[in-house]
This record gives sequence, structure tokens and C-alpha cells, in this order.
Amino acid sequence: MSFTLTTPSGFWNPLFWVIFLALFGLISYLIYLRGNPSYKKESDQVKPYLSGNIEPTKEKVQVKAGDIYWGFIEALKGYYKVLEAIHTGDIRDYILWYLGVGAIITFILIGGV
Amino acid sequence: MGKLTSFKRSLWVFHASGGSCNACDIEIIAALTPRYDAERFGIKLVGSPRHADVLLVTGAIPKDFADKLRRIYEQMPDPKAVIVIGNCGTSGGVFYDSYNIAGPIDEIIPVDVYVPGCPPRPEAIVDAVVKAWLKLEKLEKQLEGKEE
Ligand code: SF4
Repeated sequence: MSFTLTTPSGFWNPLFWVIFLALFGLISYLIYLRGNPSYKKESDQVKPYLSGNIEPTKEKVQVKAGDIYWGFIEALKGYYKVLEAIHTGDIRDYILWYLGVGAIITFILIGGV
Repeated sequence: MGKLTSFKRSLWVFHASGGSCNACDIEIIAALTPRYDAERFGIKLVGSPRHADVLLVTGAIPKDFADKLRRIYEQMPDPKAVIVIGNCGTSGGVFYDSYNIAGPIDEIIPVDVYVPGCPPRPEAIVDAVVKAWLKLEKLEKQLEGKEE
């Protein structure tokens, strides 16, 4: 049984792939062996250098989705302040808004005639 | 395990400045630039203590900076050496006994070589690095001895 998959742009053989991975692992291990053996895992030696400051928690250094829109939201602060105040998360409020605005549109379109 | 052979090729230096007036710092730069050119011996400044063999410290070290200096020292791999450049770090210099100074530096981290002067000349700095190099080679042998 042949493991080789031949396509017009090349071939794929899982055995070759496993051999490549083993070789890759061996070379990585040899490089690792040449490293500084006095390296202390449980100390500050493993932490990133931040001008001598303590490393903040991951949450603090993460770029959050909200950060991407920061400039946009900051520029339209007045508008968002009003919108956030009326954005209560209560579906009954939204239905009231829907009915209210619907009534106004209906009045403008046909009520005034 | 791998042998520590890096000193046979080069010595990487990290510079931490703790409240110095900048004169010591520019003398360090002068030691590296073409006139003295310490880089031709492989001595070069690196951007992180995690890559460094030698820590050069300048300045009298204000209280706010002491814990940061300790952390920088901790982050250096072993074996390591510390050189204090200038009178400020050696004894307090013109800031001696000042209310906001945590130094002299040897009260914060262990120091191997002192380079007095206000500021010291680049020749003295290069000489200090060579002395630190000798010390590191000794430490390296000790570490290798421990491994066997
Ligand atoms: S020792 Fe002198 S030159 Fe160096 S930082 Fe102190 S005051 Fe400046």
C-alpha cells in the first residue's frame, strides 16, 4: 500500500513528514543543549525585561477589542453618551422605542394629511 | 550539558543608568565608538539584561530605582559581573548622604569592579571591563566544575 499522495504541484507522504519532524526535534534539542546550563527557571531570569519594572498581568497588557475603537468612540463621545444611556439591555424598552418611533413615522407619513 | 564558551568570543554589556548626570554615560559610549572601539573585542552594549554578561551601573541610585536595579541584576544569566562607573555609584559622590538616595550601589547589588572618577575616562572603563572579564572566566570555570 502506497502512502504517497501525488498532486500536479507535488506530493505528500506522511512517513517523510514524521522523519522531518523527528529531525527537526533532534536539531532543536541539540541547540537547546548548547544553551546556558546555569539558567534558573524559577527566577526573574525567565521574565521579560521591562526597564526593571514588574511584569503587569496579561489582562493589563492585552489589546482589547474596545481599544481598537478607542479613537472613534472618543471623537463621538457626546453621541455615545446619549446612546449608552438609552441602551438599557431591556427588550421592553426597545419595543417601546420601536413603537414610539414607528408612531412618529406613521404620523409624519399619513397622519398629517 | 553545553559548555559556557561565550566569553571566548565576546562579552555583552548592559548599561543601567540610575540618576546619573549623563557624563558617565557618554564616557561609556565614548569607549564603544571609533576612537577606543571596544566593540572590536566583541564588547558590545545590549538592550536587555537577559542577554548580558556584565552590568554597568552609573548614578547614585535614587530610592525609587533600587528595586528596579535589583530586578535587572536578577534577570542577568549566571555567571555575571557588575561594574560601577563613577563616583556617584561608588560612594554617593556629590549626592553623598542625600535623603532620597538608596546607594552606594554595593548596598543594593554585589559589585565586582569600581571605576572612580567624575566622570572616569574611557580607558578606565575599558580596563574595568577587562577586569570583569577575568572574573567571569573564573566564575565560568567554577560553574563548569560544578557540572562535572
Ligand atoms: S560620577 Fe560625576 S560624572 Fe558620573 S554621574 Fe556622578 S556626577 Fe555625573
